[in-house]
Amino acid sequence: MKEISSAIQIIPLDYYIVLSGTLFSIGLMGVLFRRNIIAILMCIELMFNSVNLLLTAFSAYHSDPAGQVFVFFIMIVAAAEVAVGLSIVVMMKRNVESVDINLLNRLKW
Amino acid sequence: MVGAITFINLAWLVPVFPLLGFLIIGFSGKGLMHNMAGIIGSSTILLSFLYTATLFFVMKSSGQDSATITLFNWIAIGSMNIPFAFLIDHLSLTMMLVITGVGTLIHIYSIGYMHHDERVNTFFAQMNLFTFSMLLLVMGANYLVLFIGWEGVGLCSYLLIGFWFKNPAYNYAARKAFIINRIGDLGFILGIILLFFTFKTVTFSEVFAQAASFPTGTTVITLITILLLVGAVGKSAQIPLFTWLPDAMAGPTPVSALIHAATMVTAGIYMIARSSILYNLAPITLNIIIGIGLATALMAAIIGLKQNDIKKVLAYSTVSQLGYMFLALGLGAYSTAVFHVTTHAFFKALLFLGAGSVIHAMGGEQDIMKMGGLKSKMPITYWTFLAATLAISGIPPFSGFFSKDLILNKAFEHNIILYILALGGALITCFYMFRLLYLVFFGEQRLTNAHPHESPQAMTIPLIVLAVLSVFGGFLNVPSLFGGNSNFGSFLQSATTSLSMEEMSHSTETILILVSLALLGLVIYFAYSTFVTRSSVPKADSEPMSFFGKVVYNKFYIDEIYDALFEKPLGFLSDFFFNKVENAVLDPAVDGIGTLTARFGTLVRKLQQGNMSFYLFAMVAGILLFIIFILII
Amino acid sequence: MILLIILLIPFVASLLLLLVKHAETVKKLALVSSVLNLLLTFYLLFSGSSTGVATQSYVFAGSQFSLGYDGVSLVMILLTNLLFPFIILAGFNREQKQPQILYALILFAQSALIGVFLAQNAFLFYIFWELSLIPVYFILLLWGGENRRAITLKFFIYTLAGSLFLLFGIIFLYQLTPGLHTTDFAVINQLVIPESTQIWLFWILFIAFAIKMPVFPFHTWQPSTYTMASTQGVMILAGVMTKMGIYGALRFLFPIIPLGVLFWQNTVIILSLIVVIYASVIAFRQANLKKLIAFSSMAHISLMAAAMFVLNYYSIQGVLFQVISHGVTIVALFYLVHIIEEKTGTLELSQMGGIKLIAPRLAILMLIVVLGSIALPLTAGFVGEFLMITGLFQQSVWFAAIGGITMILGAVYMLYAYQRVMLGETRADYKPITDLGLLDYCILIPLILILLGLGVYPQPIFNLVETAVVAMQNFLLPIANVATSFAN
Repeated sequence: MKEISSAIQIIPLDYYIVLSGTLFSIGLMGVLFRRNIIAILMCIELMFNSVNLLLTAFSAYHSDPAGQVFVFFIMIVAAAEVAVGLSIVVMMKRNVESVDINLLNRLKW
Repeated sequence: MVGAITFINLAWLVPVFPLLGFLIIGFSGKGLMHNMAGIIGSSTILLSFLYTATLFFVMKSSGQDSATITLFNWIAIGSMNIPFAFLIDHLSLTMMLVITGVGTLIHIYSIGYMHHDERVNTFFAQMNLFTFSMLLLVMGANYLVLFIGWEGVGLCSYLLIGFWFKNPAYNYAARKAFIINRIGDLGFILGIILLFFTFKTVTFSEVFAQAASFPTGTTVITLITILLLVGAVGKSAQIPLFTWLPDAMAGPTPVSALIHAATMVTAGIYMIARSSILYNLAPITLNIIIGIGLATALMAAIIGLKQNDIKKVLAYSTVSQLGYMFLALGLGAYSTAVFHVTTHAFFKALLFLGAGSVIHAMGGEQDIMKMGGLKSKMPITYWTFLAATLAISGIPPFSGFFSKDLILNKAFEHNIILYILALGGALITCFYMFRLLYLVFFGEQRLTNAHPHESPQAMTIPLIVLAVLSVFGGFLNVPSLFGGNSNFGSFLQSATTSLSMEEMSHSTETILILVSLALLGLVIYFAYSTFVTRSSVPKADSEPMSFFGKVVYNKFYIDEIYDALFEKPLGFLSDFFFNKVENAVLDPAVDGIGTLTARFGTLVRKLQQGNMSFYLFAMVAGILLFIIFILII
Repeated sequence: MILLIILLIPFVASLLLLLVKHAETVKKLALVSSVLNLLLTFYLLFSGSSTGVATQSYVFAGSQFSLGYDGVSLVMILLTNLLFPFIILAGFNREQKQPQILYALILFAQSALIGVFLAQNAFLFYIFWELSLIPVYFILLLWGGENRRAITLKFFIYTLAGSLFLLFGIIFLYQLTPGLHTTDFAVINQLVIPESTQIWLFWILFIAFAIKMPVFPFHTWQPSTYTMASTQGVMILAGVMTKMGIYGALRFLFPIIPLGVLFWQNTVIILSLIVVIYASVIAFRQANLKKLIAFSSMAHISLMAAAMFVLNYYSIQGVLFQVISHGVTIVALFYLVHIIEEKTGTLELSQMGGIKLIAPRLAILMLIVVLGSIALPLTAGFVGEFLMITGLFQQSVWFAAIGGITMILGAVYMLYAYQRVMLGETRADYKPITDLGLLDYCILIPLILILLGLGVYPQPIFNLVETAVVAMQNFLLPIANVATSFAN
């Protein structure tokens, strides 16, 4: 335990922040600009994981395990979310024969 | 002595007898045998009468002036303590005797009169309920118990006026009576409340004891007396609330006799006489009463001149006589007013019962233009009716002479103009009463298909008894001029405090009586020559009349004026509130809030195009904006 | 413990009803439950502690669940438990769809109402307050008459909007409490709130009650809802739920924000008196019997609201007395309307007439109830109205005079309605009307006996509320010189 956290601390914190910031932005851009719903789901995962990375880093730097506990929670929620998300995708594929998100335009009043 | 006290303490039985009668007749419904209802109804009142009469002698022998019987505490909260209590004193005893005495006779009469009516049971139940309420009214030991009776008689009057409820006009008349009475009652109850706040009690004895410490003319006392007066004006059918009484003739004739002549309408006079101590402290109110009384007496008498319905004539004459009683009250001669109440109860009940007998004989016809010549066919009715007519006209030695003469004397002492006006009213009264008498009983019979016959004994015996009372009732109170000592007046001394006035000399009194007798003689002669010698019959409705005649015939258009002033605007206001305020402003205003929200929704939902990419973009943009917002602050 | 039992009996019974199949059994079971509750209420009243105040706390899931009562609550409980057996009886021998659900809802409403009156905690009060709305909403929606969807929705949103303000007020009071925050009335009542705050807080709290009562100009939901509602629904609404507003005002406004009350006192009285006249005048020309009675009820409740805000001893005694009297009268009236509608098939006054000829007993009973409603002496209505007008008089003669005009206008429209329904010639189109049946007597006779009994001997109710009214006065005494000298 001690070794891992000191190993993490070898790399300065700024690097983690920049890396996860970049990953998050990539994910965000993907969510905003892709039309394939599977790609969007993957981008969401990417955003989750960038946050996870940051949480782990902070946790190590602050010697506070709470951050890592959060990571586990997020992973569980992400797994659940993927399960629901993918089933929606399957249903969508069955109903509209496509995974293009712009076809889901009946979600209005 | 102990027996006497117990007897007095059981005086609450007096109103209980009629109440029992009401319950028995009311609950047995159709199960009663024929005439049973009438017999039960009459005997309960008779029991009350006997009890009251015994009470009178017991009180007299035991030398007690008054007794209070408290049954239980009706409303007792905080400093308000209103017991359900009865007060027996000379004033209430007088009224009780009149109510139960005349009431018994009218009930017996009704057995004959209502014989053919299928709802005779209901009739007697309601009559008994009325007697109960009326007894409650006069026996109450405080203003609120009086008020129970006050509203109770109003209710019974409503029920009995609308007794033949199939006719919408009768129902309207009943409602009108109740509502106009309620207007008075509002004034009355406000008066009671003000009284309570002033004296911290509504019990007569306590109020009057405290009132002694108030100086004459105190504003609050004046206000109380005026508010109470409003109630009395409504109940006793004075200007401006008198219009219900003539319409009230829609009820069966015994009802008119009992309620609208002998008892209920005199409740206002009783109440003011009861509150004499307060009224003595309020000269302004007394002057108002004089004005109201005189105006009513004259106006009703003038209207009576032109009426052709036998009961309407009597109704206006009742209003007019009530005006005289008010005049007496206003002059501070309370015992005189009560004396007139008593004699009036005799002769007016007799007049109504006589009229009922005539209507009965004529098969329901009430128009005097169609009657005539009944003298020989209905001798008992004729002679008793004549006695009552002489009494109401004030011919000595009939009872009306003594009471009316006393009022005229008081008016003379107060103001000569008052006397002249009051005497004028008396002359008009005499004229229209003789007009009625001549048209009904003299001349030729004008309705061909009727076969008048004398009424059955159940009806004629009460007529005879009442006739005796009408003739000799005046001797209860023989003034000193004729060697009497005003027994009646001094009897009431302990209960009412009349304003003292200097006695007029006997010579003046004699002159006044002679003058009025001479004038009365002239009027009777004039009436005789018009209606018997020349046998002129009042014109039919369709024929043209002089302007004044038309105004009088239409009762000064008072009903029409009230209709235009109150009834129509109320209906209009009701429609206006409902259609223009409730349904056009308030309700839409509330609905408007909903509509506004919906409109806003239509506006905003333009954003909801269903495009997922746009939603995502909006979400991210929102989050970013939020972050920027936080960072700036 | 007895409070909890009284609260839970209807609730448990309502759950049990859902399991019962047979319609008549459902009704009988509901009746048994409500009668049992009534008996328990009587036990509570006569058990000696009735004049005092009692609080019983139950800790439930970590939060305080405290029930208690004083005279005011007792009157309300008495009214609720007194009326519900009759409300349930009103459905006997009549075809109703889904009786299980209907009676479950009725009993659920009873439970919630009892909760409102027993809650000793503002938050608990609020929960029950909202809870009572739900069953009534469904009763109106599922068993209502014409146009029920729109009207019920309006009613629901109207009352819910009012409650939102109440919730806000409760939260505001909560964060004012010292130390560990609480919403117990006992604590809230002790709060010292600056006058400027009280002045605006008054309307936040009052709006919910004003809508429930209803007071001008928050009354617009009432006539249409009453007209549309099923008889049992309208009995609950008019008989008990309007009294919730009065109870709420007594419980929240006077002890907690007396300065605000004093500030707005005359405004509220005048608003209420406007409705008294306004509703009475409107009632005069209503063509629909039920709507007419709805407007008459509005006038009576407004008079109670006006009298309540006079804040003196007599008027509050009068209001609490009138709570019972009005509840009993209006339930009897609506039941009579129901019978008349059943017999003639209409509610339009223009199509009625002469029922007295065919059903004389119905006419007599209706007359008695009508007379009670127009406050004839020796009916309970008179005692209440007399005290309320006495109270109003103390504030101003004009208030009393305007309030007293109900005596006249009430007679005008009620007797008009009575005449149109009962008197006159019978209309040919409903010959086969029968007079009252046994069930009708079972409902009407006890109600009328209560009406007359309390009119002749009102003392028990006065004694019941005496302590509470004096306590309420004490809340107001120190802070203002309300003219209470008359009371002593």
